[in-house]
Amino acid sequence: MTKYVIRRIVQAIPVLFGVSIVVYGILLSAPGGPTARFANNPRITNEQREEFKKAWGLDQPIPVQYCRWLGVCNPDGQGLGVFIGPKGLPNFLPGVLSGGTNGVLHGDFGYSIDSGESVMGRITRAALPTFILASFALVIWITIAVLMGVVAAVKRNSWFDQVATIFAYVGFAMPTFWLGIMLIFIFSGPGLNILPAGGMTETRLSPPFGSNEYWAYFGKQPLAALADIGRHLILPVITLVVVNIAGDSRFVRASMLEALGQDYVRTAKAKGLSNRSVTFKHALRNAMLPVVTNIGLEIPFLFTGALVTESIFSWPGIGKLTIDATRGFDYPVLMGVLLITATLVVLANLFADIAYAFVDPRIKY
Amino acid sequence: MAQEIERGAVVADVENRPEGPRTDYEVGLESLSQWQLAWRKFKKHRLALIGLGILIALVVIAIAGPIVMPFRFDSIARPDQIVYQGRGPSLSHPFGETGGLQRDVLLLVVNGARWSLLIGFSSMAIGVVIGTIIGSIAGYAGGAVDNILMRVVDVMLSLPILFVILVAARFFAGARDNIWTIIIIFGLFGWMGVARLVRSLFLSIREREFVEAARAVGVRDRRIIFKHILPNALSPIVVAASLIVAGNIIGEAFVSFLGYGVNPITPTWGNVLSSALTFIPLGNWWWPFFPGFAIILTVLAVNFIGDGLRDAFDPRSRA
Repeated sequence: MTKYVIRRIVQAIPVLFGVSIVVYGILLSAPGGPTARFANNPRITNEQREEFKKAWGLDQPIPVQYCRWLGVCNPDGQGLGVFIGPKGLPNFLPGVLSGGTNGVLHGDFGYSIDSGESVMGRITRAALPTFILASFALVIWITIAVLMGVVAAVKRNSWFDQVATIFAYVGFAMPTFWLGIMLIFIFSGPGLNILPAGGMTETRLSPPFGSNEYWAYFGKQPLAALADIGRHLILPVITLVVVNIAGDSRFVRASMLEALGQDYVRTAKAKGLSNRSVTFKHALRNAMLPVVTNIGLEIPFLFTGALVTESIFSWPGIGKLTIDATRGFDYPVLMGVLLITATLVVLANLFADIAYAFVDPRIKY
Repeated sequence: MAQEIERGAVVADVENRPEGPRTDYEVGLESLSQWQLAWRKFKKHRLALIGLGILIALVVIAIAGPIVMPFRFDSIARPDQIVYQGRGPSLSHPFGETGGLQRDVLLLVVNGARWSLLIGFSSMAIGVVIGTIIGSIAGYAGGAVDNILMRVVDVMLSLPILFVILVAARFFAGARDNIWTIIIIFGLFGWMGVARLVRSLFLSIREREFVEAARAVGVRDRRIIFKHILPNALSPIVVAASLIVAGNIIGEAFVSFLGYGVNPITPTWGNVLSSALTFIPLGNWWWPFFPGFAIILTVLAVNFIGDGLRDAFDPRSRA
C-alpha cells in the first residue's frame, strides 16, 4: 500500500512539471506578449518599452524566465549560483529553508497586469465566492443525483426511471449557458422579475463583496446580507444542479444496477432478508464505492468553480476572474489560475486513486 | 477489412421464407460482416434511429438551408423598419425576429446549422485522427514511448480544457475568417480521450492470437497496425467520436458566446445566442431560445446515435 501511494505520488510529479511547461508555453506563444498593451500607445517610446522589459526580466532568455517563474532559479544568483537560494540551500525548497521568495513554487504568481495586485491576492479574494456557490451546488446536486440514481435503479423501467432517463439525456445535451440565459429570462426578465439577474450582492444596498466596507456592513446586518447573497445564489445554483445531475445520476444508477446484480445480493435475498435491507445494506453500500471516488474527482470544482455559470451570472469568483483575465490578456492571473486548477486536478486524481485502493481491498497495487 | 472478427453468423432466413405450405424452402446461410451485424442491431434501437433521422434532417438543413434562405451579413432592414425591440414568433417569422437589426431568427438558426455542424464534425475528425495516431503509437510501442505519451495525455487532461481553448481562441483567432482556426483549436485540444481509448484497445488487441500469427508470418509493423489491429479497434472509436461531436458543438457555442469564437458576422448558434444576451431586459425570449434548442436537438441526436452504436457494436448484446 505504502509502495503504491509513493509510486502514484512520484508519477504525479512529472505531470505537474509538464503542466507548468504547457501553461508557460501557451501564454508565451500568445501574440504580442506582455508589452502588447503598450503597442498602440503613442506616448510610450521604444526606450520605455525596453526599460519595462528589463525591469520585469523579459529581456532574459526564455529558459531563464521559466526557471525564475517556477522558482527554481534565484534571480539574484550568478552562474550556477542561480539554483541556490539566499540561505545557501537549493532555491526550490520552501522559503523557510532556502530563503527564496520568487516563483510559483513559493506561491509567488506575480502581479496582475490589470490591477497591479498580487495574483495570489486576487485569486484568494475570488476563491470565497466560488467556494460558496460551488459548495451549495455540489451538495445539492450530489444529494439529488444519488437519490435519483438509486431510486431509478431499484425501480428499474418504472415511470420514474424513464422520466429520470429523459431528464438525464436532456440535461446532458443542454448547454449550461443556454440554461442560465433562459433562467434569467424567466425569473429576471420583465415578466416575473423576482430574482436578480447576476452578481453576488445587491450593489445598491451593500459595498462590493470582499471589500473591507462589505465586511463592516456584514457585521452590522448579517441577516440581511446573508439573505441578499441567498437570493443571488438561487439561479446559478439551479443552473449548476440541473446540468450536473444528468451525468452523476446516470453514474449512480449504473453503479447501483451493477451492485444489485451481484451474487451477494442474490444470496441475501435467498436468505430471506427484507427487500429494504438488501437494497440499502448490501447493494447501496457497495454501489457507493465508485460514486464516492467520483465525487472526490469533483472536489477541485470547489475551487475552479464554473467558468460558464459564473460568467453568465457575473458571480465574482474564480471563473469570472478567469474570463476577465482572458479578456484583458492578464497573463499572470491566467497562468496562476491555470496552474492552481491543474495542480488541484492532479491532486484530486491522486487522492481518489489512493482512497479507492484504500477502501476496496480487491484492488491490487 | 476486419477479416478476423467476421463471426460468420449463421442466419436462418426465416423472415423472407416463401409463403405457402412448401416445406422445402432453403435455409439461407449468409455470412454477415461486423458492420452488417451492427446495422441490424442499430436498426432495433428506436432512440438511435430517431437520432439518426434528426441528424440527417439537420445535415440537409445545413446544406440546403443557406441556399433556400441565404444569409447576408450586410442585408439589413430599412432604417425606418428598425425598432429596438424584437418581434415575437408569428406566421411569417415562426421563430420571431431579433431586436436591433430585426433579423429572422429562423434564418439565423438555419444558417447557423451549417457552421455549428461543420465545426462539431471537422474538429471531431481532427481530434480523432490525432488521438488514434498517438494512441496507436503508445499502445503498439509500449515501454518508454507509451509512458511518455501517456504522461503528456495526463498533463493535457489535468488542464481545464475549455479554458485552454478559450485562451487559445482569444490569442489566435482574431482574424475575420477564423472558422478553421477555431476548428483546429478544438481538434488540437480534443484528442486525449481518444488517445487513451485507442491505447488501451491496442494493448489488448496486440496480444491476441491473430496478431501473433501475423507477426510470426513476418508481416510488417505498419501492416499489422493498419490491417489487423485498427479495424478491430474501430467501433469503440466511432462511439467515442459521437460524444466528441456533441462536446465540441456545445464548446464552440460557449466560446463564441463569450465573443472569442467564430467571428460574429458568421451566424453560428453560439454567436446568435451571444448577441441575444443584451436583450434580456426586453424579454425577447425567442431569440436565445431557438438557437439553444437547435444545439440541444443536435446533441441529443448525436448522443442517441452514440448509444445505439455502443449497443450495436457490443458483442454481448443480441439483436
